[in-house]
Amino acid sequence: MKITVSINLGGYSFNIDEDAYAELKNYLKNLELHFAGEESSSEILSDIETRMAELFRSKITSYKQVINIDDVHQAISIMGTPEDISDNDGPSARDKFSAPGYHRMYRDPDHRMIGGVCSGMAAYWDIDPLIVRVIFIALALGGGLGVLVYLILYIVIPEAKTTAQKIEMKGNPVNIHNIKDSVKKEFDSVRKNMKFR
Amino acid sequence: MDLENTKAQMRKGILEYCILSVLSRNSCYASDIIKELKEAEVIVVEGTLYPLLTRQKNAGLLSYRWEESQQGPPRKYYELTDAGRTYLTDLDKSWKELVDSVNLIRTR
Repeated sequence: MKITVSINLGGYSFNIDEDAYAELKNYLKNLELHFAGEESSSEILSDIETRMAELFRSKITSYKQVINIDDVHQAISIMGTPEDISDNDGPSARDKFSAPGYHRMYRDPDHRMIGGVCSGMAAYWDIDPLIVRVIFIALALGGGLGVLVYLILYIVIPEAKTTAQKIEMKGNPVNIHNIKDSVKKEFDSVRKNMKFR
Repeated sequence: MDLENTKAQMRKGILEYCILSVLSRNSCYASDIIKELKEAEVIVVEGTLYPLLTRQKNAGLLSYRWEESQQGPPRKYYELTDAGRTYLTDLDKSWKELVDSVNLIRTR
């Protein structure tokens, strides 16, 4: 037995398996990023959604009431991935993010124990946050300096709020590929944490 | 050099011309255009069509109206504008010139 999600795709209502939904959502997100630089991108996306809804509607019968992951894969191969559609005439959204990776220190809100200072510093240096925490604790025990230093760092180091900042925190270039990966990872982790009773 | 890639590039170049040609015969829905282009093997993936349709509409070569549908939300019904017809005539000429040029080179 599987959990299904109820979606509105292009104005049509579908029941879709949870894993198929994740795949579809990821695909539409990739398309959105691909067309981001384009004038009328929302219109293009809307047309594509409508077409995919037409494809899905032909799959639904009285014997088969739910869209599954094979249906989504098939629809994607019919419509094409962003790479297949890649289009040299329109402005390339890739060019917007072509700056080499800035490496900035942020506080990491996703891996924090208290304020994300240690996990943020660890992400910057690409070491285990535990090492940074142990150092702080050692400093704190040896005269309280650690606490003061921590507070100063907490105030001075900004929190990584956006996906782009989280990518910069690790020193990776902010491009379509990395944003795509980040969004997917966040989605997956939210999904894992949402176990329904 | 990748044959598939070169073929794809060739197709991409003529796709706009083909869209206008299809619409010059009949006004129709995007899915009808796709059907014809697929039958002629001009497109492989359907997603290629939509950015082009929108761009041509923005350039005033096509227009659409919303057609009500019994089975769901309204759909776009495309037709060629006068500007589109003129543009198509120019493209017909360009196409002929191109074919002649290539044949000249190939058969020399």
